[in-house]
Amino acid sequence: MSKQTIETDVLVVGGGGAGFRAAIGAAETGARVTLISKGPLARCGATPMAGADFTLDGRSLAQLGFKGDPNDTREKVFSDIVHQGFFLNNQKLVSHYVENAPFRLKELLEWGVKVLFSEERAIFTSGIAIMDALLQKARSVGVVCLEDMMVLDLLTVEGVVSGALALDIRKGDFVHFQTGAALIATGGWHKAFWPNTGMRDLSGDGIAIAQRAGAETGNMEFITFCCNILYSPPIWRGSLATYVAGLLCGGELTNSKGEAFLAAYDPYIAKVGSETEWNKSFVSLATVKEVKAGRGSPGGGVYYGRGDVPWEQFERTAMLVFPNWKYKAMDLSGLGRIMKDGGKVEVGPAVEYFDGGIVVNERLETTVQGLYAAGECTLGPFGANRVFSAITEMLVHGATAGQNAGLYATKRKIPSLDARVFEPFEENALLPISLKEGLSPAGVRRRVQEEAHDKLGPIRNRPELETFIRFLQEVKSEELPRLHAQASGRVYNKGWIDALELRNMLQLLETAARSALFRTESRGVHFREDFPFTDNDAWLHETISTWGGDAPEIRKKPATLTDLRPAEGVVPYMQMLKRMMEAHSDTGGHH
Amino acid sequence: MSEKTVTVKVLRFDPAKDKEPYYQSYRVPFTGGMSAMTALDYIYQNLDGSLSYYDHAACSLGICARCTGKINGKPGLFCQTPLDGDVTLEPPGKSKVLKDLVFTR
Repeated sequence: MSKQTIETDVLVVGGGGAGFRAAIGAAETGARVTLISKGPLARCGATPMAGADFTLDGRSLAQLGFKGDPNDTREKVFSDIVHQGFFLNNQKLVSHYVENAPFRLKELLEWGVKVLFSEERAIFTSGIAIMDALLQKARSVGVVCLEDMMVLDLLTVEGVVSGALALDIRKGDFVHFQTGAALIATGGWHKAFWPNTGMRDLSGDGIAIAQRAGAETGNMEFITFCCNILYSPPIWRGSLATYVAGLLCGGELTNSKGEAFLAAYDPYIAKVGSETEWNKSFVSLATVKEVKAGRGSPGGGVYYGRGDVPWEQFERTAMLVFPNWKYKAMDLSGLGRIMKDGGKVEVGPAVEYFDGGIVVNERLETTVQGLYAAGECTLGPFGANRVFSAITEMLVHGATAGQNAGLYATKRKIPSLDARVFEPFEENALLPISLKEGLSPAGVRRRVQEEAHDKLGPIRNRPELETFIRFLQEVKSEELPRLHAQASGRVYNKGWIDALELRNMLQLLETAARSALFRTESRGVHFREDFPFTDNDAWLHETISTWGGDAPEIRKKPATLTDLRPAEGVVPYMQMLKRMMEAHSDTGGHH
Repeated sequence: MSEKTVTVKVLRFDPAKDKEPYYQSYRVPFTGGMSAMTALDYIYQNLDGSLSYYDHAACSLGICARCTGKINGKPGLFCQTPLDGDVTLEPPGKSKVLKDLVFTR
């Protein structure tokens, strides 16, 4: 077996928007930068799938020449993000987001990204356009990009990140990295759930390896489910087409009895909760309530149709985002026909965004020296619930993280690591291909994914979380060591990759489930049936998790509240939700 | 079993042991609105875990284009080609096969 050793100043792990923006930022400090993409360059991770909206204050947007609301201010945006996050936000990171957003949009435009349309405080473009611009820019500043490579573990020397072990997925060979700094930008871990909306590479590898290297993670229980995701037929499963249609064109959700179930809620909550991007949290919660009460569709969702929206109006709006009912290579004309005929399709919540993640400060440093993180894999600015754009987050994070990692690494001599220090990590990774027989990684994964969707979905309770944690422990101790890749050889061995990913997903699921059990209140996208209130006395706290070798350890830490603080007291969840919605500034739009 | 099935014929090649590529057929339950990728997922997850196709970072929604191949001889994306009956799946023409349906560009 051949082994390659690569030396670099900054190793960026992750090939989405955050990773590429970070790589550019690091390279501009003079650092030698290597970026590892798990899949095809500029075509993996969540970014290429995004619609994509970029949010910033309307005044800055107007100054850039777009139709922004000139009366909007950064203070209003700050306040809106904090209320949407139920005051759990790290307000230093919110400031960082608000202050840096205009610069990031300006440079995107300079790099050739085209804006499709704009509104009060957002522009809409496509994730692919952003990725293409970032890839071109990264190459122009000398970033070395490697694709189809998975990072398996970080190596530390006396607590300082100094290297990484990776797997070249095509060849099946290990690659040793010696690096001055590492930067994690691997996005979410959608693959731990079924159904999901993410691309198939999103298994949380970066968060898991950061945890194993000693980094703190936090708020892992806050998982945003996107509502109105297509559940069937299989060719469209996981598509956001109906989510986008619902948001832009309107329409109606019904349960198995044909009832428009959102009508049972406070009219204000139902309106804001379906006409703005608050819909992710509110509609997902309302949908799961129907399903849990036995009023769901056969696939565990509900039904979406255009309701009383006239077809001509519906189609005209839909054409803005799905010209000729096409979205890239996806043919949605069948969906158009169903909508025209007044039919319904099966939709439901699917995991879409992870509000928690690797703990970072406003310099995007993690709690481990030499380790930086950016984008969705971090505990970012959104607190308990995200309404504003994650595209903005990935770019403002990426720029700062990359620059700081570059400045740190260029002052440091690249450490020299003996090949022997990689051996224990390699032995561990080789297990699934050294066994003669064992369990199918894909089979175990599907059971884990379905349990996760069921027990760690928008509605949680203690008995289900405890059952889920026991299940995860059993899988970890009984099944994980017996995972076996059925294919021979190391070349593109799918079973092997699946087994390596599953180890990471189980680690994150256990962390999230224990955090969800630990947080005895409801806030944002974390709703506990047994604690249906927001507790502003006891729980203006982050849940901080560290990996103790075999299980996560969870503790509380006060959230970083620099400017805004909620009233004290314990408030019923729906009342708190309404207060947070009502606190919105006078700026319109979807955010 | 009374449920409807389709026969999915897949080009196989494992550089570690095969001199020449060959075809292997699988019977897969048919559901309306399934794609070639749905069939490959079913085979890999239920019938034959040794099958390789570009999956670990595929998007399955027609964006990344890594599941390019031939479907009954015609080029297309496995994930966005609907199945309506028996089918043959191969890597794209003129590509160098790395393993099964995974090819070197």
